[in-house]
Amino acid sequence: MLGLVCIYTQLLAQNRTISGKIKDDKGSAIPNASVIIQGTNNGTATGSDGSFSLSVPANSKILIISSVGMETRQVTIGNQSSFDIVLQPADQSMTEVVVGYTTINKRAVSGSVAKIGSADIENRPVMSFDQALTGKAAGVQINTSSGLVGDNVIIRIRGAASLSNSSQPLIVIDGTPMVQGNVGQLYNPANALSDLNPNDIESVEVLKDASASAIYGSRASGGVILISTKKGKAGTTKVNYDGYYGYTQPATMMSVLKANDYTTVINKMRSNAGLGDVIKSGDFNGDGQPDETDWQDETYHNGPTQSHNLSLSGGTNRMSFYGSVSYLDFSNYIINNRLRRASSRLNATIKATDWLTFGLNTQYSRGYQYGIGSGTGGAASGVPLGPLRYYPNVPVRDTNGNFYLAQGNNLLTVGIIPNPVAPLLGNFDNYDTRRFIASGYLEAQIMKGLKFKSQYGVDYRAGYDDQWWSPDFGDGQGLGGVAQNVDDENRNWNWFNTLSYNKRIGTKHDLSALAGIEYTKRMSHYVYISGIGIKDPSLALITTSNYNSVSADEGFGENALASYFGNLTYTFLNRYILTGNFRADAYSGFGKNNLTGYFPSGSIAWRISDESFFENLKKTVTDLKLRGSYGITGNQNIGNYTAFASYASVSYAELAGASALNLNNPGNANLKWERTGQLDIGADIGLFNRVTINADYYEKKTKDLVLANPVLATLGFPNNSITQNIGQIETKGFEMGVTSDNLKNKTVTWTTSFNFAYNKNKVTGTNTTNTDLFGGNSIARVGQPLGAYYLIRWAGVNPQTGWAMFYDATGNIKMYNPSIATASQRWTDEKGTTVVSAITSADRVVLSDKTPYPKYYGGMSNTFTFKGFDMSFDLQYSFGAWIYNQTLSGLMGYTSVTNKSTEIFDAWTSTGQVTDVPKLYWNDNQWSQTSTRWLEKGDFVRLRNIQVGYNIPRTIISRAKINTLRVYGQIQNAYTFTQYKGIDPEANANGNTNIGLGIDNNRPYLPRTITFGLSLGL
Amino acid sequence: MKKIFNSSIILIVLISACTKKVEEIQPIDRITPDLVYTSAARAEAAVVGAYDGLQSAEFLSGRALIYADLLGDDVIDFNGFFGDFPKYNMLANNGIAANMWTAGYNAIARANRAIAGIKPSVVGEDKAKKLIAECKFVRALAHFYLVNFYAQGYTFTADASHPGIPYVTQSYATNDPAGNIPRGTVKENYDAIIKDFTEALADLPLTQSSIALTKTRGTKAAAASLLSRVYLYKEDWTNAKTIAGRVIAGEFGNFSLNAIPEKVFGPGNYTTSETIFSIPNSVNDNPNTNNALPQHYAELGRGDLTVSQLFRNAATNPYFLSNDRRRDSLIAKNTKTANAGNFYTRKYPDVATRADWAPIIRYAEVLLNYAEASARMAAGVDADAVAKLNLVRNRSLADPATQAYTVASFATKQDLINAILAERRIELAFEGHRYFDLKRTKQSFVRIDADRTTQITATYGSDKYILPIPQTEVDKSDGVLKQNKGY
Repeated sequence: MLGLVCIYTQLLAQNRTISGKIKDDKGSAIPNASVIIQGTNNGTATGSDGSFSLSVPANSKILIISSVGMETRQVTIGNQSSFDIVLQPADQSMTEVVVGYTTINKRAVSGSVAKIGSADIENRPVMSFDQALTGKAAGVQINTSSGLVGDNVIIRIRGAASLSNSSQPLIVIDGTPMVQGNVGQLYNPANALSDLNPNDIESVEVLKDASASAIYGSRASGGVILISTKKGKAGTTKVNYDGYYGYTQPATMMSVLKANDYTTVINKMRSNAGLGDVIKSGDFNGDGQPDETDWQDETYHNGPTQSHNLSLSGGTNRMSFYGSVSYLDFSNYIINNRLRRASSRLNATIKATDWLTFGLNTQYSRGYQYGIGSGTGGAASGVPLGPLRYYPNVPVRDTNGNFYLAQGNNLLTVGIIPNPVAPLLGNFDNYDTRRFIASGYLEAQIMKGLKFKSQYGVDYRAGYDDQWWSPDFGDGQGLGGVAQNVDDENRNWNWFNTLSYNKRIGTKHDLSALAGIEYTKRMSHYVYISGIGIKDPSLALITTSNYNSVSADEGFGENALASYFGNLTYTFLNRYILTGNFRADAYSGFGKNNLTGYFPSGSIAWRISDESFFENLKKTVTDLKLRGSYGITGNQNIGNYTAFASYASVSYAELAGASALNLNNPGNANLKWERTGQLDIGADIGLFNRVTINADYYEKKTKDLVLANPVLATLGFPNNSITQNIGQIETKGFEMGVTSDNLKNKTVTWTTSFNFAYNKNKVTGTNTTNTDLFGGNSIARVGQPLGAYYLIRWAGVNPQTGWAMFYDATGNIKMYNPSIATASQRWTDEKGTTVVSAITSADRVVLSDKTPYPKYYGGMSNTFTFKGFDMSFDLQYSFGAWIYNQTLSGLMGYTSVTNKSTEIFDAWTSTGQVTDVPKLYWNDNQWSQTSTRWLEKGDFVRLRNIQVGYNIPRTIISRAKINTLRVYGQIQNAYTFTQYKGIDPEANANGNTNIGLGIDNNRPYLPRTITFGLSLGL
Repeated sequence: MKKIFNSSIILIVLISACTKKVEEIQPIDRITPDLVYTSAARAEAAVVGAYDGLQSAEFLSGRALIYADLLGDDVIDFNGFFGDFPKYNMLANNGIAANMWTAGYNAIARANRAIAGIKPSVVGEDKAKKLIAECKFVRALAHFYLVNFYAQGYTFTADASHPGIPYVTQSYATNDPAGNIPRGTVKENYDAIIKDFTEALADLPLTQSSIALTKTRGTKAAAASLLSRVYLYKEDWTNAKTIAGRVIAGEFGNFSLNAIPEKVFGPGNYTTSETIFSIPNSVNDNPNTNNALPQHYAELGRGDLTVSQLFRNAATNPYFLSNDRRRDSLIAKNTKTANAGNFYTRKYPDVATRADWAPIIRYAEVLLNYAEASARMAAGVDADAVAKLNLVRNRSLADPATQAYTVASFATKQDLINAILAERRIELAFEGHRYFDLKRTKQSFVRIDADRTTQITATYGSDKYILPIPQTEVDKSDGVLKQNKGY
């Protein structure tokens, strides 16, 4: 009995109780932090107020305090009984990178990967998140082709990767490939990526070289963009509200003539040609004044914009979640053009047992796009062609308040262009979409170092496009009113299984391996109905009783991809890294003979800064890694059934007893992948622990380009083209990204990040006879840069005579004088004495130094904080691209009475005048023909975003139990410095093409959006 | 270890299962070529597909006929819709010229593919001959219109040795270099066209399975009538008269003129005894709002094309009598105030459904072909020619008793020829003939521009008197196709 007491007392004497509070760097308590005695299992967890109490043996030395998301701390116990410990947040966010199917530490990356964080994406007033990525990553060029809601956003990583197939990168969200691209069904484009709420995005990784992207093999030659959405973290639940209000206006405006100048100029054109006046003013709205309308003013307004986002995130050690709801209402500056989107997201990660984790990422969103009622861009009823070209001397409405549709007192008409306001208010093209994106995975730790992951994902979008053309004006007029509805859906589903293995052998060798299989299926389907010739316009549905004719059509497409892939990484001494990737893909769209493609890649990296000989330099050069990679990636964006020869049924006027068939695809059984071999040499450098530099030099050779090879019309193939693997292009470039913490102290911080890319490409082969390929005003010719312009050269206006001059192919000047009666004598030499042959398209030359692709491009952003204030500005720059200004050439024609640009005031009037606009002369259709006259430099520096914000001090808001509150104002697309005279140097009329880029043909101006908002965190 | 092994097995099994699924994906809305020509019904459908090629919105379903009138002096491009096309100053990359070229050769290729694919063992000997004859008919017709647009007239040079168009008689399944065919001479083209029509004539049926199909698919009458036009353009008067005579004699079916000239136009009138061959349209299959004949010609459609004063005024068209029936029945005044002063043709009234058929050849033309050939062959004023001319003309006269021609009405043979040509201009106006007739009679002329005043001159034989070969085609042929001079 005594013995027991003695032992008991002895035990008691060896333990004592310690207690304390664990707080974070902001002073908030950390609940559920673990407090453990080092080397034992003896520990406890903090309570909700951050306090703990633990009985520790007397010889305990060190306490380890850890919490998820915080840096673990070791505290010497010593003689203390009471502890107040502060934990610093662990900056995980920028040290881990998602590469393919795994996440690895940035220091171990041996390929070229750029990462863009959520701070650059959230709360930007853009219609879809890809517009916010502009200028943020070296070598990634993002071009928003116009200010129309839903217009194509063209993404090029390291230049174009193809000639006729898409060069867009593959976009993957949380492991599931997304439906991307233009999903517009009728006359308005729609961006499939706009269904994503930008505030849900945690980070975007861009995989640029072959080593990083080859794990995606056959779809990666345009690069890969990986989106990771926000996941919860263990700790207190965070509630955030972000909202902003603002308005949108056109960023620039081209100026056209006012009514009285218009009358003067057109009539002068006529009188110079000896003809009578055709423009006369009138008063058709009964206000007693001659009619005068600024159509751009009438069709544009300040569009109100608002966005609200509420998110909830939190978790415990075993479970974390992130949920959000958001609403965006973006009214464009064009009347009635608008995008509304509501989205909700729920992400959850559940650690069911120590070895089994489940994850779920789901999103449901609903979008409603109000498109422009009648065609877009260059269509006669569209914007901005209508507002730019319509007669300025007629009113919007007549005395009865109806749209004024006639030609006023003008003797000639503007042809088929209707009153520009009428189609905007009277027609509509509304697209209602629903998007469900979800992925679920399970991850099992089978044994130490071996993990199995299986993930199933879907991207399901469905839309309903409801369109109407009124019979009173514009496109619906000749048809008696047209309604068209399209019900379409896309379904992607994807399933992959991976086994990953990590092993440390001894102390020097690290091995990690990944093996996986994947199956992706994509399907699209649409049903289209139209009604032509409406009987009662007040009845909204398309029924056979209300329309003269109702017709329907259906379409379907699907493709499947089955792959297996693997990755092996070997690291020696933690500073020599060797990686190999391999992927094999079978794709249903390829010819029977070539279903499967193989894509290997390898890379090496050497972290020089960890070498012993580098010890002395480590103070300045805190990190230095050299890397190189080579690999093969592919492109399979060729369409679902391109390789199949087929006949389809056609109609011969629906005659009874006469069914008809026609060859609609000549097919190609040998059609296979496009392959890009890419070499990349790069360095990642850290200086002074505050500057990081990433630099890469790369060379890409793409061959077996799938081309819709334009063939002679005499072969009689549909579209005069046949699909073959024939082309080759070569790209070389250099890119660099620099991030610098210039100033970092308690009151002021200043960080700059800057990126720069230089890119040059060359077409090295087209088809078997190396013939030229044409697109837009450009050419793909062997030995020339891709998309080099191919135009007749302008030689200016002759100061003596005022007539236009051009160079022929050999460099001689030819002048066109429209005042000569006989057409065949109008072309003369510069003096006007000798008659010469006309300038024809044979006089076009390839302008090798002028392409629509920029030579140098990138961005820069600066962020300043001063006490509670913060200010940032982003800018984007591009030099070396050339744009063909077709908008302006259409506003300078002498053959019609459409309105003209104010540039026409420069028209030649007196002998000796030096100008670039020839004498006004009616019916001169030669001077404004396609030529270098309209080719302009597209250099620009754009102030993409300016933001000023203020964090309201803790002391004020904590009374309302608010954790953080920031108010801010921002301007998106504040100003563009450029000499380009057209719509915008990024304007692009031909959508996502490779050869025919760079034509500015009446695309709507880019918008400038000014917003004021607040971010509130509880 | 066992777990790794088991996991790997599962993966391997899954890989092979997935690859099979990839191979299973086949298109569900189309037919592979081997299935087409092993079925008699489908083989015939491929032949009908060739006619569908002619029915292209850019070709014979309306636009090609419009171009032939737009380039002539009877039509004004009032809305300026056709841009530079009718101004005899177009550029080599003119879109209208390029689209018509592509549509024409597409129709020709469809015919050639069908000829290559048809097997007598599948469709039967007789049927095979008939179907091949139909394809040759399509081929000849398409080439005939193309050579008349893209080349100078037959008599531009003494032996028609000036450049024509490529004549395609083979079918190609791939980007075959043999498909890069150079331009033949106009003589070679005409010889090939006549050969195709003549061979077709031998094997074509007299009628097809329905009235509608008889008027819209090849028949002996259609081939023979078109041959008479081809010979006429070639100035081979003997053959023109002979073949037209056979049609008139009823050898290929009984045709007769309608009592009134307007009875052959508009809904319900497409299959009268006067129609020989037309390209059909229907409410759901027509060239649509921007290309259909009624859209361009009717005021209530788009109203792009108006009747020029050169056609209506006595000074420039003296043979068009002021009380000619056709002035009222086939020409209308404007109804909207905005169009004051304009006149529109009534030949294509179906704006609502745009289903107006495009009249390629009708009996009235065969009579005029005969009359002209006969008049030109004769030494003096040919009574037979006068009789045929009267058949066409008298039904349009207000008072045939006093206004009809007799042999005595003409002093010389040339007077009779002029009267026939003038009647041709009036009777076949807006049906795609005027430019071709001006060209084959070597005329330079003036046409009126959109402002109804400005005159545009077209000089016979000048470089821009004809259309350019599309510049992209010239570029693609790498020197084999030579562009027309002056473009």
